[in-house]
Amino acid sequence: MAPLTPYTYIQCPCSDPSNLSYSRASDSGSPIDGNPGFDDEEHTFDPRAPRSNYSLYPLEYLLYCEDCHQIRCPRCIAEEIATFYCPSCLFEVPSSNLKSEGNRCTRSCFQCPICIGPLSVTSFETQPDPNLLAAPDHAAAPHSGPYALNCSYCHWSSAEIGIKFDKSNGIHGQLAKLRNGGTTRLTAKERKERRKDILQSGGGGGGTAPGASGDTGNDQQAIDMETQFTNLKSFYQGQLSESTSGGNGLSSLGDLGFASPTSLSRIMSIYTGGSLHDKKSKSRVGSMREALDPNEGLIVADLDESAAIEKLHSEGIDGTVDTEQLLNQPPYLGEPHLHGRSRFGSELRPIPYLLRTKRSKRCPVCRHIISKPEAKIQTTRFRIRLIAGNYVPSITIRPLNLNDNNGAAGTPLPPTAPLPDTLQPLKPAHFLLIFKNPIFEGVKISLATPAKTPGRFASKVTVLCPQFEIDANTDVWDEALKDDGARRRGAGGGRKGDERPGSTQGQQRAEAGKIWERGRNWVSIVVEVVPASLRLDTLPTEGPEGEKVDMSPLKEDEDVLEIPIFVRVEWEVDAVGDDLGSSLASSRDKEAKEKRELAYWCVLGLGRVSQA
Amino acid sequence: MAGVLPHRSVANIKSPGGPNSGSGPSTPMRPITSTFASPSSLRADEDIIVIEFDTRKLQVGFAGDSTPRGTIWFGPDQQRRVGDFRAWLPDYVTDWRQRATGDQWGKDYELWQYDIRDQDLGVVGDRAERALREAFTKYLLIDSRPRRMVCVLPSGLPVPLLSAVLDSLFSRFQPPTVALLSPTVSLAVAAGVRSALIVDLGWSETVVTSIYEYREVHCARSVRGGRMLTEQTHDFLAKHLSQAPKEPTQDNHEQDREYVLSFEECSGIAARLVWCKPSQTSAAAKPAEGLPTVQEHDECEEVQGTSPAKEPTVVNIPLKSAGSPMSLELPLDSLTEPCENAFFDTRYDSHSSFDDHELPLHVLVYRSLLKLPMDVRSICMSRIIFTGGGANVLGLRQRIFGEVSHLVQERGWDAVEGKAVEQLRANPKLKRQATRQAGHGSTGVASQSGNSVGAEQDGVWHDAANVVPEVDPIEEQLKGGTDKRPRAQGEMRAIESLGAWTGASLITHLKVPAIATIDRELWLQQGASGASRASEVDVKAQQRQSLGPGGLMRGASAGAPWTLGIWGTS
Ligand SMILES: [Zn+2]
Ligand SMILES: [Zn+2]
Ligand SMILES: [Zn+2]
Ligand SMILES: [Zn+2]
Repeated sequence: MAPLTPYTYIQCPCSDPSNLSYSRASDSGSPIDGNPGFDDEEHTFDPRAPRSNYSLYPLEYLLYCEDCHQIRCPRCIAEEIATFYCPSCLFEVPSSNLKSEGNRCTRSCFQCPICIGPLSVTSFETQPDPNLLAAPDHAAAPHSGPYALNCSYCHWSSAEIGIKFDKSNGIHGQLAKLRNGGTTRLTAKERKERRKDILQSGGGGGGTAPGASGDTGNDQQAIDMETQFTNLKSFYQGQLSESTSGGNGLSSLGDLGFASPTSLSRIMSIYTGGSLHDKKSKSRVGSMREALDPNEGLIVADLDESAAIEKLHSEGIDGTVDTEQLLNQPPYLGEPHLHGRSRFGSELRPIPYLLRTKRSKRCPVCRHIISKPEAKIQTTRFRIRLIAGNYVPSITIRPLNLNDNNGAAGTPLPPTAPLPDTLQPLKPAHFLLIFKNPIFEGVKISLATPAKTPGRFASKVTVLCPQFEIDANTDVWDEALKDDGARRRGAGGGRKGDERPGSTQGQQRAEAGKIWERGRNWVSIVVEVVPASLRLDTLPTEGPEGEKVDMSPLKEDEDVLEIPIFVRVEWEVDAVGDDLGSSLASSRDKEAKEKRELAYWCVLGLGRVSQA
Repeated sequence: MAGVLPHRSVANIKSPGGPNSGSGPSTPMRPITSTFASPSSLRADEDIIVIEFDTRKLQVGFAGDSTPRGTIWFGPDQQRRVGDFRAWLPDYVTDWRQRATGDQWGKDYELWQYDIRDQDLGVVGDRAERALREAFTKYLLIDSRPRRMVCVLPSGLPVPLLSAVLDSLFSRFQPPTVALLSPTVSLAVAAGVRSALIVDLGWSETVVTSIYEYREVHCARSVRGGRMLTEQTHDFLAKHLSQAPKEPTQDNHEQDREYVLSFEECSGIAARLVWCKPSQTSAAAKPAEGLPTVQEHDECEEVQGTSPAKEPTVVNIPLKSAGSPMSLELPLDSLTEPCENAFFDTRYDSHSSFDDHELPLHVLVYRSLLKLPMDVRSICMSRIIFTGGGANVLGLRQRIFGEVSHLVQERGWDAVEGKAVEQLRANPKLKRQATRQAGHGSTGVASQSGNSVGAEQDGVWHDAANVVPEVDPIEEQLKGGTDKRPRAQGEMRAIESLGAWTGASLITHLKVPAIATIDRELWLQQGASGASRASEVDVKAQQRQSLGPGGLMRGASAGAPWTLGIWGTS
């Protein structure tokens, strides 16, 4: 197993279980008795709890609202759409098209149904004939149809599913009218026209007229889902408008999904004139009839799949598609319901590219914009983007070698050094946490960790220095202008303002209450862990309240030592500049400072514990 | 105050080192984040979102559309942290044992389990939210303005699960209202019928629901579903891998199962290659009831039905998750075995030895029909709708249909089964009703409000004759006048439905008010416990409201009782 690179995750405060209502696992809809029950006295965040995966983010994924001074994650942000566009042709799509044309590109942008690579339109005539390409004058030999969609990666061609195009443009429109195998499909309108034609050509005898019969027969055989939908919809609309004029209106379907007994008692009451029934739906039942034929949307199912089973025999597994390919298929209603036939490669359709959006993001509380993309589709830049990393201290983790007896003791491993494979159970290990302050004010950091990590295998955790201050992220240039001597409290002779307390070189000791090292806008501290043994036989036989202990084998990632840390960041800013308070503040105390704080849970992944 | 907007986590979490200062915060009873300012002013009114939730997937789209715009399947990768890309690592596929063995095999692919005892309901809410967010962004391409929603949820969904999903919807997406529709009724609507027998060959179970006049009148379940098919596929492949796990004992499906192949691989093979033998009984001669099918089943090489003259087709099945890549050469005909075991279990020759919850599917369907009153049965059996993932097993629908037809032929409807039916049959009133109905023939019964309930009920099929049909001259001529066609009844017939999602889309588009329509404010205040039983809600008042300026589906207003419909009755 690859060694684990230490990592940091932040829990967005919006996901804190105490902020949400539905952490009531045991509450099965019983009346809420006024005790919300979320304020456990020991509220420690458990990064291994299944819900944690939904609330943890790497710092790079988080934004920040400058007005609310709060972290914003993808779950607690309001989005607005700046542009819709096709990722293939990069054309912008007006939002009005979305409703009518759907969520896919309607130009000629398609993905391969086999490998999702881009498909291109190529002519059949030119492809197999290399001479034509070599011909001096391309214009003299214009490409002519038929055309196909081809994948240059896996060489799939729409010809394999029997689909060829007459023209090289407007592929989307042409494809919509073609079924796999190449037969053209009637639109609902055409179907109606056709019916009219049959009627006018004197075949009024109800579908049995010679000549017309074959046609209508085919129509009914092959009625596709789109047509069924259209027929059904107009059937219902007709029925509803009828019953509306009859005075019953919308209520004729009014009991849908309602009063559904799962016992016979209810149906008994129907028959014995039970009170419930007639109270609810006096006389409405029956004001609308059901659909009776395909033209009204009723399709009798053809259950005979022997042809498909035959096909499965002749083509074997190679004739079928895998789950991924099936899931990538766009919804397609141009066929009757495929049921099990959807598994065949011959039923695949080219995939029109899904449109994408560029989105602006607002703080849902104060409505300020915190992210706004450039309008141009080709660029991925942002005009505004308040990333949390510019406001929230970052934490870098580095293994620290304190116990080594040779000269390297006390030096953190350089970032490039190979990581130690695993942590040894029950053997203390040390890590350096480097906090870097991105803001222009100095901050005070307070850390809290549980003494033992939550979960089945409790490792001991000690943060040697849980409270410290980090200097402001002043301009490096400013820094240089200042007196670079002993401007820091208790500083030793750090070079370039860096500080190494209690050390000149090499032999550094981790001490409780002391930071390890300090720089311009960063501080490093030491955390000591004693990893738990992962052996199941070391687990207690029962929990503190006599409950059963989970003795199941090690779960995925349960061997990773993760420690939850509650981080509180406090700082002060000048009160001036606040729109509302500026006049007030100046009239009162010019030195008024505003206290700010930010607090959140963090998860540090330190490494895998050896299972040996 | 301007500067320090105290947010909850700071207030609630104790300061480092110190005990929590004081009692719990004075939050309202159901503290849903008030982070979101007055959403109603920014509501996007135009689109109503229709969401169909299922154990394995959810589908989203806009009301009025013929098909959902996208489907999200639940899977393990959605359960990882943001920024966790291990699924892209090369050995991820072969590493499956770490993630899901034992009773966890395949569970990552389910949104919920109906047995809520070992489930973290919060996770269900989180998963639903994450999947919806992906669906909204990727397929609906919508912004985050609040929109009204219509949810299709399994009728048997336990209230705590329903509650978890609604909590997630209301607190994270702020829909002003959420209307609930049952999939069975939606399926009937999407097939054009008012009554149906819905055979949902679902994932965790197969459910047979009888719908009569848009009401669920009977419902029966069997654990024989997609999950069992996948497990049987696994056992079948494992057996041929010769590192066979102990053959699962007949009455022990779940426990102590050892898996040698990954869920992904087995479900993939089940979807590609497993198929269903045609009904042996469809031919005139049916082997005697007691004939042991066990032997031929075990050496399953010989098939009935498909071209027995031909050489048996052999398929090559590549397997990646067995430890090292390998492949199996198996006759395609043997791949009917998982289907037999999962859905029919031919190891038994008599269905009397099955528990009620594991009836073979044809018996389940037959018994469901048997339990219906005669005329309801007569209507339902002519409107059988197969749905669910199992409907994709080639040949399965026909097989069930054939077996049921055979049972009907063989036993008719007089088989003594079920006490309730007995009572029904013994009830003289019912008998009278039935004969009266039969006597009516096509004379028709006016369905005016003054009529007796019974008349309204059996007005279903002859009533339509009274209704002045749609005036479409072409249609008129085609049919040759007023619609007097007989309604199908009394004969086994299967029909196609466009699916529950599409049914819900139609219902919503036709502005039919759903009864279980939940108002956001009320939900946030009261939760599921605020709901009244469906029977206590004044439907008329709701409907009046729904026609008012608030528009359709604007459900209960403050103070008025509201309901979770069928979900609230359990
Ligand atoms: Zn804000
Ligand atoms: Zn958030
Ligand atoms: Zn495009
Ligand atoms: Zn390709």
